Amino acid sequence: MYKLNFRFLSQYWGMLLEGVGRTFIIVVFSLIIGFVLGVLLALGRGSKTKILRGICTFIVDFLRNTPFLVQLFFFFYGLPQLGINTDPMITAIIALGINTSAPNCEVIRSGLLAVKKGYYECSAALGFTPFQTMIYVVLPISLRVAFKPLTSNFVNLVLTSAVAFYITVMELMGSAKTVTAHTSRPFEVYLVILVGYCAFTFLISFISKYIDKRISITL
Amino acid sequence: MYDKYMQLTWNDAIQFLRGIGVTLSITLISLIIGTIIGAILGLVRCSKNKVVSSLPLILIEPLRNSPLVVQLFLIFYGLPMVTRIILEPYPAAIITLSLNTAAFFAVLVHSSIKAVPEMQWQAGYALGHDLKSTFIYIIFRQSLRILVPQAITLYISQLQCSSLVALIGLMDLTKTGELITLRTMKPFTVLGIVFLLYYFISTPLAKLAQKLEKRVGFSY
Amino acid sequence: MAMIEVKNITKSFGDLTVLKNFSVDFTQEGVTVLIGPSGTGKSTLLRCINGLEKIDDGDIIVDGLSVKEKKNLKHIRLACGMVFQQTVLFPHLNVMDNMILSPVKLLGMDKKDAQEKARYYLNKVGLSNKEKSMHNELSGGEQQRVAIARALILNPKALLLDEITSALDPEMSREVLFILENLAKEGVCMLVVTHEMSFARHVASRILFLDKGTLVCDEPKDRFFSVVRQENERISKFLQFIGE
Repeated sequence: MYKLNFRFLSQYWGMLLEGVGRTFIIVVFSLIIGFVLGVLLALGRGSKTKILRGICTFIVDFLRNTPFLVQLFFFFYGLPQLGINTDPMITAIIALGINTSAPNCEVIRSGLLAVKKGYYECSAALGFTPFQTMIYVVLPISLRVAFKPLTSNFVNLVLTSAVAFYITVMELMGSAKTVTAHTSRPFEVYLVILVGYCAFTFLISFISKYIDKRISITL
Repeated sequence: MYDKYMQLTWNDAIQFLRGIGVTLSITLISLIIGTIIGAILGLVRCSKNKVVSSLPLILIEPLRNSPLVVQLFLIFYGLPMVTRIILEPYPAAIITLSLNTAAFFAVLVHSSIKAVPEMQWQAGYALGHDLKSTFIYIIFRQSLRILVPQAITLYISQLQCSSLVALIGLMDLTKTGELITLRTMKPFTVLGIVFLLYYFISTPLAKLAQKLEKRVGFSY
Repeated sequence: MAMIEVKNITKSFGDLTVLKNFSVDFTQEGVTVLIGPSGTGKSTLLRCINGLEKIDDGDIIVDGLSVKEKKNLKHIRLACGMVFQQTVLFPHLNVMDNMILSPVKLLGMDKKDAQEKARYYLNKVGLSNKEKSMHNELSGGEQQRVAIARALILNPKALLLDEITSALDPEMSREVLFILENLAKEGVCMLVVTHEMSFARHVASRILFLDKGTLVCDEPKDRFFSVVRQENERISKFLQFIGE
């Protein structure tokens, strides 16, 4: 019978924690990049110019219908050829940020579409400029509608980040591989990692549900 | 002398085809197995009994809420240690992707059945059907309309996920692409080809799902 | 000088010409009711006045400013407060915040002052106790009343009311029309597009009848319901049709 042995935790928890830290950094920066790009793509997809609309739609389709691993390779092997030599962690952040901008774009678009024409007209009738309408009416409504799906995208972002170890980034999965190599206990190590990610996901879902309840509006 | 070594050759084209073959075979087999298991789990989740309906969650929640890589490594590296059975990458990949697909599919089945308005069940009972009969003749077809486009989207997503089997050394399309890139030092060309291949397999399915989704928007 | 001068305007939507060489003047007094068959340009006229629709030809001068120049639009829209058929209370703000959004953000009013003013107008429309409510907690009639108050708080010179009771059931309609009657008595200038003939009979001072994009008749109320009705076949047919 196989004896489960979790003693490695006491020895290697520092290393694992470092991995969590790096995952955290990657995820936060990717989130910011992904959100900004997502907004730009969403605006592009709703644009009146046919060409811009077409390009943005294509970019979103492309990012969603091709594997993230290939996108990661693309930046990892491709950027140096363009003369851009960066730390693998930065490469991971770029790739992840760009990848997550596609689902974000879709979510933000659905948020923007939730703001019906009547609101724009009413705001104009009250004397607001289009810019003011955007700030005081469109954004508050869109972001509230988009919040829950955006957190869902965030969770996916974190889960996808686990692949970064393959381009030598020592985030959580990378640390896990090292610990496995030292302890020869892959089952226990990966089980702990799995539980760790699950715990994180539940935490995010819980917080997100709480926030969503407080900010949600009936349209 | 090295230049010749670094060129793309017809042999590479054959490698790509082999890679596509591996990717598609793993994906198709996993999707079939995953759909069957997922359907069963999903139906169990629809039970009125609170204990019974919560049982599948033991499998579903961990599989949905953790990275596929971790699941893959757990099964490929971890399981053999526990069970003393040697596991090849190919079966390990199929087991992992099947289970992962099953978890997501179960959620789709459960939600699509729940999405059928309660009134439909009541109408069925009023016409004299029992639970099984109501479900088969009335509920099932309606839930399919909601389920199918979402299932197609899931399948496309799982096709992308299949690329992760490269991480345990399987020569799928992605791994093939990586190796050829490393050899020829032409990432843009080689990976460009890989991108296009995945894109052209996925996009028609994506358009199909979009079309079907539009058809769903009739009443509810 | 008239407050709103509509000078020979033409407005088309594609092939359909909705307003043709239309001219009319409005002063800052009284209640003018626009009636006529559907699709004859009544709503379009209102929307052209406050610049929501661009006119193809001609000009509209509101309070001395032309609607054709973009920089005038803010002043024009503050001078003509508009209320729509479908209530548009902003869903992410409660009633009070809906009311003070424009005064505070647009006119730079102090928040406390704006709230005081808002309370005054909410009281006028009979909704003092609904300050903190969200839009979905109000009935259709209550929402429209808030919309009216929200327009009034900007001290417009005229209220443009575009079929504001058409989407309400009779009971809620009566609530809203009652408020409008009171406002009319206090001297608020209103341009009202409506099908409510009883309202026109009781409250209007001037009636405009539009048909196929042209002004068929422009008379004080009393003359309209007595003399004109008998003289003009088209108008009497229309009034009969809607049950007058």
